[in-house]
Amino acid sequence: MGVAVLLKQVPDTTAKISVTGGRVDESSITKWSISPYDEYALENAIKLKESGYGDVVVITCGPARASKCLTEAAAVGADKLIHVVTESGSLDSIQIQALLSAAVKESSCDVVMCGKQAADTNSGSTGPGVASALGYSCVGAVTEVSIEGNVISATRLGPLGLEEVEVETPCVFTFDKGDTELRRPNVRGIMMAKKKPIDSLTSDDLGVDTSNSMVSVESHSSPPEKPPGQKFVGAESVPAVVNMLRNDANVI
Amino acid sequence: MAYEALDFYDIDSLLTEEERMVRDMVRDWVEERVLPNIEDACRDGIFPDEWRVEIGEMGILGAPLKGYGCPGLSYIAYGLICQELERGDSGVRSFASVQGSLAMYPIWDFGSEEQKEKYLSGMAKGELVGCFGLTEPDYGSNPGDMITRAEDRGDHFLLNGAKMWITNGTIADIAVVWAKLEGVIRGFIVEKGDEGFSAPEMKGKHSLKASVTSELVFQDCKIPKDRLIPGVKGIRGPLSCLNNARYGISWGAIGAAQSCFNSAREYSLSRIQFGHPIASFQLVQNKLSWMLREITKGQLLAYHMGKKKDDGSWIPEQISLAKMNNVDMALEIARMSRDIHGANGILDEYPVMRHMANLESVKTYEGTHDIHNLILGRHITGIQSFTREP
Ligand SMILES: Cc1cc2nc3c(=O)[nH]c(=O)nc-3n(C[C@H](O)[C@H](O)[C@H](O)COP(=O)(O)OP(=O)(O)OC[C@H]3O[C@@H](n4cnc5c(N)ncnc54)[C@H](O)[C@@H]3O)c2cc1C
Repeated sequence: MGVAVLLKQVPDTTAKISVTGGRVDESSITKWSISPYDEYALENAIKLKESGYGDVVVITCGPARASKCLTEAAAVGADKLIHVVTESGSLDSIQIQALLSAAVKESSCDVVMCGKQAADTNSGSTGPGVASALGYSCVGAVTEVSIEGNVISATRLGPLGLEEVEVETPCVFTFDKGDTELRRPNVRGIMMAKKKPIDSLTSDDLGVDTSNSMVSVESHSSPPEKPPGQKFVGAESVPAVVNMLRNDANVI
Repeated sequence: MAYEALDFYDIDSLLTEEERMVRDMVRDWVEERVLPNIEDACRDGIFPDEWRVEIGEMGILGAPLKGYGCPGLSYIAYGLICQELERGDSGVRSFASVQGSLAMYPIWDFGSEEQKEKYLSGMAKGELVGCFGLTEPDYGSNPGDMITRAEDRGDHFLLNGAKMWITNGTIADIAVVWAKLEGVIRGFIVEKGDEGFSAPEMKGKHSLKASVTSELVFQDCKIPKDRLIPGVKGIRGPLSCLNNARYGISWGAIGAAQSCFNSAREYSLSRIQFGHPIASFQLVQNKLSWMLREITKGQLLAYHMGKKKDDGSWIPEQISLAKMNNVDMALEIARMSRDIHGANGILDEYPVMRHMANLESVKTYEGTHDIHNLILGRHITGIQSFTREP
């Protein structure tokens, strides 16, 4: 019993990203945060815990800096912190899923939660990948969960509206942004978080071979700059604006 | 655009992880809750009650006090909290300063065991609001000559007099009131609803509009004997509270200055005159570099002062210097930033005019700028020049 939350530390959505020599320059990123969808996973895990479902174990896979996101999670109520230490950007998705799955097994949690995709890579593969590696069922893009016995019901946005899905544990949920309000940390939480030990594990500790990555990133580049905005002043420009809204932007 | 606080000398690297986390928590709260609502609050002249609740929930009130449900943070963390709150608005920082340093602190340091148990944890949670009544209509810079009197009537005290300019007064559940008992200044805890006590709000402020400022009126106000704060006599009582609040202000002013600097920098980069961004003109760059220079010096001053508060090696004169200098530089930066914004600078779309007006109060309260000059003058020469009497 217990909920494992997979957290990824990503550049804050407001951080400036610069590319030098065909690589994102990590040292120029001033703020790292928990990937936004993962925050919804964490919030829902804490809610589940408050309704009596075991401890919340947060697991991150990443370089030394990533441990900060575990402490941040502890400040809002995570009980156990596991850091799978890897070099930044060195592994492919399947290797990361293998490491995370091994860490989930180690935590003996039977419910796994994570964001539906990470704010940096947006690949959306972690949740389903971990479910497949562990042989758990997987429900994607949920916004809320509640538990009754060993059946968890989840709400997700389906093509025709809200869907209610019931699933037995063990299972994986990936989270979308819903109406759930994220809790703010407080001083007491921060002080307790500081005292919580972080369990640091390597791929060797977890018995996962990460020597052969199947993907190699050749280079990064910045997206093309947006064309500058246009300004229209005065009544005489109305026809031109209407024309552009109709034919270029297709909004009217 | 994300808020990037000016930190030219990387003060951030000197902070502990806990201090950084507390700072970021308050920064995020200000971003989400204060900045989108501050202009409305100012226009309506209110301190929104949900801010009280949320500040209480964050657990930052009475930051450096330990025990009795108080946070027990470092003085550096307390300073960072003030900085972030005042980056939002001086009124929000004032709420926290008064609650923590002026109302909780005297109870925490000089109160009886029963008083500490009764008030402190509720105050730390923001459930009980406190205010601090020292200033009177006729006694501002020299509170020692105050008129408010307490009389011992056997089984109770009788309080008579009036206080003015009291932050949080009307919304307060308790007031720490300084009054003379047999000619000696003593602190009393007056509760809302005590017979003969009223706290009408003062209206018409052009500054600190999102902060409640009130009179406290005592007309044969009857208070039980156990509301006398036992542990301190004389002007030292109120002054020791002011030390903590003034220290917090020296950080708060940095927050206001950072906000004005950021706005000036962004505005000057996007405002085109004579075919070029005004940021490309040397006179404007001179202003921006002056702001950077003053904020950086102010940060080093506040940080070092915080370290001295944490290790206990400080003297009050050092706090006077920090309060005076940092408020002075922040006010100058606000004015300069207003100038860089041209006409836009007077609009509520930008934070600068609001900070500028707020900082006029901050310059005056907690010891006026010149009173701090006199404190330093006495320190340097050994000659007091507050009054002509020997
Ligand atoms: C928004 C706001 C909130 C406040 N909140 C509180 C509060 O919560 N509790 C509280 O007790 N008080 C509070 N105050 C009052 C504040 O502390 C006083 O305003 C301050 O101490 C100055 O007193 P004064 O206004 O009477 O000015 P004065 O003392 O009359 O000073 C006027 C001018 O004379 C100068 N001056 C005075 N004496 C000398 C001297 N000897 N030599 C040279 N110059 C001198 C001053 O520097 C100033 O420039 C608040 C004030 C404001 C504006």
